[in-house]
Amino acid sequence: MIQLTQLIIGYKSALLRSENLQLTSGSIYALIGRNGIGKSTFIQTIAGIQKPIAGEITIEGQAISEFNMKEIAETISLVDTRFEGVEYLKVKDYLALGRAPYTDAFGRLNSSDWQIVEHVATDLSIVHLLEKYTDQISDGERQLCSVARSFVQETPVILLDEPTAFLDYINRKNLLELLVRLSIEKKKCIIMSTHDLDLCLDQSIPFLLAANGEINLHETLTKEAILLAMS
Amino acid sequence: MKDWSLKWMIVCLLCFLPLAMYLHLIAGQIEISFSSYFNSILNFDANNTSQVLVREFRIPRLFMAIIAGAGLSLSGMFMQTLFKNPLAGPYVLGINSGASLLIALSLMTGVQFFQSNFGLIGTALIGAFAAGMLMMLIAQRLKSQITLLLVGLMFGSFTSAFVSILESLAGAESLKSYTMWSMGSLQQVEFGQLGVISLIFSLGILGSFLLVKPLNILVIGEKSASLLGLPIKSVRMLVLFLTALFAGLITAFCGPIAFVGIAIPNLTRILFQTTNHRFLIIGNCLIGAIFLVLTDAFIQVLEGQLSIPLNALTSIIGAPFVVFLLMRKLK
Repeated sequence: MIQLTQLIIGYKSALLRSENLQLTSGSIYALIGRNGIGKSTFIQTIAGIQKPIAGEITIEGQAISEFNMKEIAETISLVDTRFEGVEYLKVKDYLALGRAPYTDAFGRLNSSDWQIVEHVATDLSIVHLLEKYTDQISDGERQLCSVARSFVQETPVILLDEPTAFLDYINRKNLLELLVRLSIEKKKCIIMSTHDLDLCLDQSIPFLLAANGEINLHETLTKEAILLAMS
Repeated sequence: MKDWSLKWMIVCLLCFLPLAMYLHLIAGQIEISFSSYFNSILNFDANNTSQVLVREFRIPRLFMAIIAGAGLSLSGMFMQTLFKNPLAGPYVLGINSGASLLIALSLMTGVQFFQSNFGLIGTALIGAFAAGMLMMLIAQRLKSQITLLLVGLMFGSFTSAFVSILESLAGAESLKSYTMWSMGSLQQVEFGQLGVISLIFSLGILGSFLLVKPLNILVIGEKSASLLGLPIKSVRMLVLFLTALFAGLITAFCGPIAFVGIAIPNLTRILFQTTNHRFLIIGNCLIGAIFLVLTDAFIQVLEGQLSIPLNALTSIIGAPFVVFLLMRKLK
């Protein structure tokens, strides 16, 4: 699915380099590492927002540098760290924006588009929020809405930058379980940066560990790896 | 707000606009029969005083009130969406200043192309667009919404300094024509120019509706919008172009009219409670037009005793409203 080849990422100087990594669909990866190590940059680079310093990222064999904007929007969705809400923008209209890559020149949604919105809202248990304004719900609810919008976009790759930051314990657990289920059922490739080591260990999902300027894949997390991550 | 209630609101505004237009027509100091209105358009007689009055003054003035109100509101709405800032507007962000500076240059240095309709519009449009580009470049380096407004203010002071220098160098005649222009008036347009103005205005409206989808996506921020496949750079250029088109067109023919562009888009948003630009575009046009028609009707009523410059009256109404918005949003 996603292939990273001799990748070096960063802005002016290299932040992280990766060995040759192969990320498969039907799987969720927890991206862990200390603050400022370059997790967000890694996610932005895969999303095609930030150009890598060297190396290549390919999705299904095609280099993302060759994707046009529409192809990127139909392949990758990104849940950014923070969505602050917009005055008079309803949750349902916010979710509906996820259909933007597929709608006509006037952005009109057809009934199957709305079905997708409702379906996702049901999955994430946010149906009761649909008619509310995005600036009048809690930080945690807004975060769930951001995740929902990326699901509505129906992309094979979903990137999430600390999606659980504002959620309480139960919501963190629920969201992670949902992401795991979705990755399997819908054959998606999900990469999520997080600090919830315990929850990820419970779900026994593979880790992308960013430490000492390198990013490595660990199918299970050993004690040494945890020590490395925190050093 | 539900779609059907928005549609109802639009229907109400649509009914209210002709009423406002009627009030504007009867607000003049000299009473004129309705047959003169029809005859002045369909069967014009240059020897009939009341028909001349209607054709040369009343109709262009009403027409410009509608166009200026709608156009300024739309250009304010574009800027507020583009900059994600409810306090943005063509006046606050120096779009008017850009147009004013170039108009002052051509009025007071006597550059000849000013004589033609297109020269005048072109001058204002270039000034407005250049100022918009400058603000866009600066906005990308700023984090705070307030800072951007302060930059706009500085830009305004900067250009008005140049205008003052030009004024001190200009001859009495050109100084007077610039001063008159800068007071803002709906009275400077002739009947014959209405065709060109309405053509440009209609093209602008058409362009606005083509931008509904990009604008609706832009409300969640440029970064998220580009991840949804929106070509940000070209959208930004198109939105700035339309902003400059409306602000430039109106500034060229009516002079600076303050606060309409910042107050009306906010009023529309508060009334409509939506971010769907399909409705916001229609709402801004109607509410902006009604507001300026009524404001100008009020000026006409007082004209016998006192002549208030339009720019002064819109500021008297608009400035307190913007202070109210500041207190509401920025706390």
